Amino acid sequence: MKPSSRQICFFLAAVAPVGKLVLMPAQLAADAGNDLLFPVLAQLVLQAALIFCVLLLARHDCTVFALVRRAAGDVAARIFAVLLAAFLLFFAFLPVVEQKITVRSIFYDTIPAHLVFAPFFLFSAYLSARALGSLGRVWDILAPLSAVGMAGVLLLSVGNADFGALAPFGAAGTGGFIDGIRRTCCWFCDSALLLAMIGLFPYRKGLAWKGTLCYLGGGLALLFFLAVFYGVFGEIAVLQTPAFARVSAFFSAATVLGRIDYLFIFALAFVMTFYVVLPVQEAVGTLAEAFGGASLLPPLLSVGCNALLFAAVSLLNLSPSQTISTITGTLFWIFPLFSAVLPLVLLALFGRRQREKIS
Amino acid sequence: MKKFLKCFPVKLWILLFALLVLTFFSNDFGLVDIQKTALVLAAGIDRDEDGFRLTAQIAVPKGTDRTTGGTSSVEIDGRGSTVSECISDLYARTGWVPKLIYCDLVVLGESAAEKDVFDCLDAFLRNEYMPDSCLLAACAGSAGELLSSTSAIDDTSALALEKLFSDAAEQAGQVMTTTLREFAIGYFGESRSGYMPYVRAQAQEGSDQGQGGSQSGGQSMASPKTEEKIYSARETAIFSDGVLVGILSPEETFAFSLLKGNVYAGTFSVDGTSYLVLRDRGDIRVTASASPAFSLFVDCTVQHYGESHTSAPEQLVKGTLSRQEEEAVSARLTQSLQALWTSCTQAECDLLFFRRSLRRASPAVYAAWKDLPLSALPVTVQARVRSLR
Repeated sequence: MKPSSRQICFFLAAVAPVGKLVLMPAQLAADAGNDLLFPVLAQLVLQAALIFCVLLLARHDCTVFALVRRAAGDVAARIFAVLLAAFLLFFAFLPVVEQKITVRSIFYDTIPAHLVFAPFFLFSAYLSARALGSLGRVWDILAPLSAVGMAGVLLLSVGNADFGALAPFGAAGTGGFIDGIRRTCCWFCDSALLLAMIGLFPYRKGLAWKGTLCYLGGGLALLFFLAVFYGVFGEIAVLQTPAFARVSAFFSAATVLGRIDYLFIFALAFVMTFYVVLPVQEAVGTLAEAFGGASLLPPLLSVGCNALLFAAVSLLNLSPSQTISTITGTLFWIFPLFSAVLPLVLLALFGRRQREKIS
Repeated sequence: MKKFLKCFPVKLWILLFALLVLTFFSNDFGLVDIQKTALVLAAGIDRDEDGFRLTAQIAVPKGTDRTTGGTSSVEIDGRGSTVSECISDLYARTGWVPKLIYCDLVVLGESAAEKDVFDCLDAFLRNEYMPDSCLLAACAGSAGELLSSTSAIDDTSALALEKLFSDAAEQAGQVMTTTLREFAIGYFGESRSGYMPYVRAQAQEGSDQGQGGSQSGGQSMASPKTEEKIYSARETAIFSDGVLVGILSPEETFAFSLLKGNVYAGTFSVDGTSYLVLRDRGDIRVTASASPAFSLFVDCTVQHYGESHTSAPEQLVKGTLSRQEEEAVSARLTQSLQALWTSCTQAECDLLFFRRSLRRASPAVYAAWKDLPLSALPVTVQARVRSLR
């Protein structure tokens, strides 16, 4: 069963923003200080435009692999598929690390053993082996959970926010703005995620506009979260990871009722788990399509991809700062290649069909 | 049956992954081995010649019979050159894994507050399992001794202290509480200043006649009686660059509370008459046109709450203030606000976040005036008290 337009909109509005709530707010606070909203706003607008382009590509009703094969042949398409899968796995690495930080911070009260996180990879291996078409129903469940979780966290934290901390606008200057954009490239790859899904959902009239607006709607919630986050933590925002689990801890009734915000935090963490697995699932799907044949291939690829991620996470377990810094700083340029350049090139090649009106 | 067997593998998968998800989303299955875990309720920090001494007040299991309700605790000291080392020392000496997740109070002794307190608070700020919402307090003398003292009102001194820092006490204007988060924001901000309640312990008069048997430390009813203490936190310690630079009197603390707009149903007395604050609006404003100016303004509505002489029932039922009374009370509160400002300027403590306000106004204004001493700043102080009509 293919995901419907509604489910794609759910993903863009409610699931995609959740992946940006762990490390990104603190990273932004470090780079752009009180101006952390502006780089995100720029990224959101850019991504929204790219998502519009990707959804236009979805009108061809064939996958990105099929599109490339049509234009460049089998070999080139397979090379492309391997590159895209490699990128998706690379992109998945940071969310996995974030998920690990989240689990360690909010589900435990002392530092747990490294292996405690291992079951995640079993879950990921299972989900990744499944066809991407099954995601639609998943998003139907996740979208309300995400909306409730986000609303709950914001509701419990907004009272402690000092929005004056966001003033004066522009204090970080152009340098802070550019650094903020550069350092957040690794979180704004939703267009690449969507690109790997085209052809797996039918394009309905107006989906390009609706999807873009839904993404911007989710982006507004993200911006509000960031404003609340900086309002609550101000100068110590750089220390607060995972951001979404920290921001609501100061709710005044928590002393009487306990950490009821954990209900909402758990909901968001649950949604996040599926968001983290998505690029791995897409990598497996892309490779399976490119080298398809045996029905055992997706499970084997899934095990292989997850073993690779597990090995990477285990190897870099003791150098988290350096790893994050390398991905967000040194290797930031890789992300726009696949999230911006690739969709635009594909749109240029396979864009509007003749005499076709964009609906 | 055939159908069932056919779908069994899928159901097995679902079951397996449901179990894995359960594992993933549970912590240690709630199995906190109380015999190996120290639930730290409060931490007291003092400096000594070797570094720091951290006194952890640890909750211990207590009998369940009706005569011994409440929380019992034991105080253990850890020593080290850093607070983190002190925590490790606690572990090494007791075999208990200290869990800071329940630590709601950090008390700084006089010696700890003599130098930059972030030497020690830094450990709590970077500890991801220590809640940033924990309360901070400074105390006269040693924090270890304060936590080890026997409270007259609770078996565990930390719980007795936390009663002083309740929301109700804060709304009454009796105490200015702060959390690790708020103090850290003040410290790392432009003003580099902060405050926390200043606790004093006093011997409870006639405590040896009172309820017997301190439970703190797990002492039995038969043990020799120790002196019971009551605590007061009506003063406020103010910090600049993390160093304790002054102590606000209870009147100044109340004025500070009014300025923050915290007070509701708080009382204060002027010339033998007590007043109840029904509405409080505080305003701290910085204007920076040609040169910066600071204004502190309090607007509150009050009613009579008690008098040192007998009044007629008609007077009692109204509780209103005459015009002269309004002016007299306004003058007294203005005086308290002025005293608060004087304390801040004498200590060069930017408690009211003048520099932060400058920075928020504009970076240029901040750069121009950030080094202006507080004592050179023109200040307008005004309290306006209105009677309940």
